[in-house]
Amino acid sequence: MNTAGKAFLAAGVVTVAAVARRRRRTPAVQQADRWLVVTVNRSPDDVQSSLPDDLARWRDQIEISIRPATGDKGTELRAKPAGEVSHDDVRLALRKAKAVLEAGEVIQPDTAPTHPGPMGKVLQRVTSRAGGGGRL
Amino acid sequence: MKALCWEGINDVRVQDVPDPQLLNDQDMILKVRLSTVCGSDLHLLTGHIPFMQAGDVIGHEFMGEVVEVGPGVTRHRPGDRVVVCSFIACGRCWYCRNELYSLCDNTNTNPAITQHLWGADPGGIFGYSHAMGGFRGSHAEYVRVPFADHTAIPIPEAVDDMSALFTSDSAATGWMGADLGGVKQGDVVAVWGAGAVGQMAARAAQLLGAERVLLIDRFDYRLRQAESVFGVETINYAETSVGDALLEATGGRGPDVCIEAVGCEAHSTGPQYVYDQVKSKLKLETDRPIAVREAIYNCRKGGSVFVLGVFTGVVDKFPLGALMNKGLTVRGAQQHGQRYIPMLLDRIASGDLATNHLATHVMPLSEGARGYELFKKKEDECVRSVFRL
Ligand SMILES: NC(=O)c1ccc[n+]([C@@H]2O[C@H](COP(=O)([O-])OP(=O)(O)OC[C@H]3O[C@@H](n4cnc5c(N)ncnc54)[C@H](O)[C@@H]3O)[C@@H](O)[C@H]2O)c1
Ligand SMILES: [Zn+2]
Ligand SMILES: [Zn+2]
Repeated sequence: MNTAGKAFLAAGVVTVAAVARRRRRTPAVQQADRWLVVTVNRSPDDVQSSLPDDLARWRDQIEISIRPATGDKGTELRAKPAGEVSHDDVRLALRKAKAVLEAGEVIQPDTAPTHPGPMGKVLQRVTSRAGGGGRL
Repeated sequence: MKALCWEGINDVRVQDVPDPQLLNDQDMILKVRLSTVCGSDLHLLTGHIPFMQAGDVIGHEFMGEVVEVGPGVTRHRPGDRVVVCSFIACGRCWYCRNELYSLCDNTNTNPAITQHLWGADPGGIFGYSHAMGGFRGSHAEYVRVPFADHTAIPIPEAVDDMSALFTSDSAATGWMGADLGGVKQGDVVAVWGAGAVGQMAARAAQLLGAERVLLIDRFDYRLRQAESVFGVETINYAETSVGDALLEATGGRGPDVCIEAVGCEAHSTGPQYVYDQVKSKLKLETDRPIAVREAIYNCRKGGSVFVLGVFTGVVDKFPLGALMNKGLTVRGAQQHGQRYIPMLLDRIASGDLATNHLATHVMPLSEGARGYELFKKKEDECVRSVFRL
């Protein structure tokens, strides 16, 4: 591997670690009071009346708030875990709900290669949860 | 089916992979007819983008024939001839509605990776690593096209396959650089890089009214090609001082718009090349921004610089002082193809825009590894290798 390859591989590993770290954080400690938010390009009424199952099924374990986004950007759909549900599950549910409300469905990933190699295996572990990690 | 796969750094091979399936209602399956290499693939080959798995199918600039559509596809039917944008777009999020298609909110299946790297996730792209969604690429007999109504565009009767092919990525990218770079009537525009992307940016600048367009590279065969097809002026940076040539050409002002179409593996004849190589050895930078520095330095006061070349991480010696004190506007983007492809196809049909001269090496997919070797080393006057399936 050339040097640039190695350097960025290092960057890749750092990112992978960041994704993993994020997941380990216990919601109760660091983020208890923070809303997780996505902006949905639909009206607040549309979002209110057709909350997708991905989010609706957590209804009794999360607080939900819906408010207009600034600058005609649609609706801010906010959720805060209240029960046992993890931040990552809520984050993923919000992202899926947004996709369903905007595009009608959640895009499915293509099937992964069968012989990913050592770095590819690490990557597969990350991508198996990279839908839920992130900075919401 | 057969597909060209990334198997490791500088290692691509034709492999047997499973046929793609419809996974979403809005998917379609395309039988690929033509698929071309792109400068962006070189960043995958060299390992600049480490989010690859052995066995990933690469390729993202392509056209073909629709063979199967999901129940949610309304604009395409089996038998249709379409060009597919390299970026997958849902067509309905805020970014898509504002024609910023490569920023689509709903097409990256691994958003956490780029959210951590860059602060937010751009859209998904075919065959371009798991950071960009992990979608299988187009150097294959068949490919699944998600959100087909918004990602694929019908090809008009009057446009041949090869000409249409390049609207998928390189022509749309070049056009975007000139358009969002703000090229106006009477401007002088300088373009770094005479590959397909740079040539298309140069032609777009002409069509948007630029009075003079100067294309910069070190490969004479590429400069000569652009000179003869588009009548642009050229500067060979291995023989001439780019700064001096640009000052002379612009009455001492510098170009109004500078478009960078080189990317993170830029080359240079000067000491900064060594500097950047040492920096990357020490892991202090991931990308070599040589042409970006030059564009910012040489741009006129108050001018605009557009970065089309792909960068992945951090760079060093970024001329922030020049940017600030000269009052420049610097922008960059992955291409918003859906915004330009229909117009580009019309321009090809009307004879305004030539693209098929870019296909210097047409070969079967079985010669994929050779195609990349020629393209990477710029051998045998290669501008683009195109795989015919
Ligand atoms: N923004 C987007 O959406 C998008 C889309 C496609 C390609 N790209 C990027 O555009 C860039 C060009 O792609 P391409 O297919 O034309 O690649 P290419 O490899 O065919 O062309 C790049 C050219 O840049 C020249 N070059 C290298 N260093 C230079 C320098 N210092 N000054 C001037 N020229 C220099 C090379 O000699 C080469 O001719 C790549 O970085 C690619 O990743 C971006
Ligand atoms: Zn490309
Ligand atoms: Zn979108």
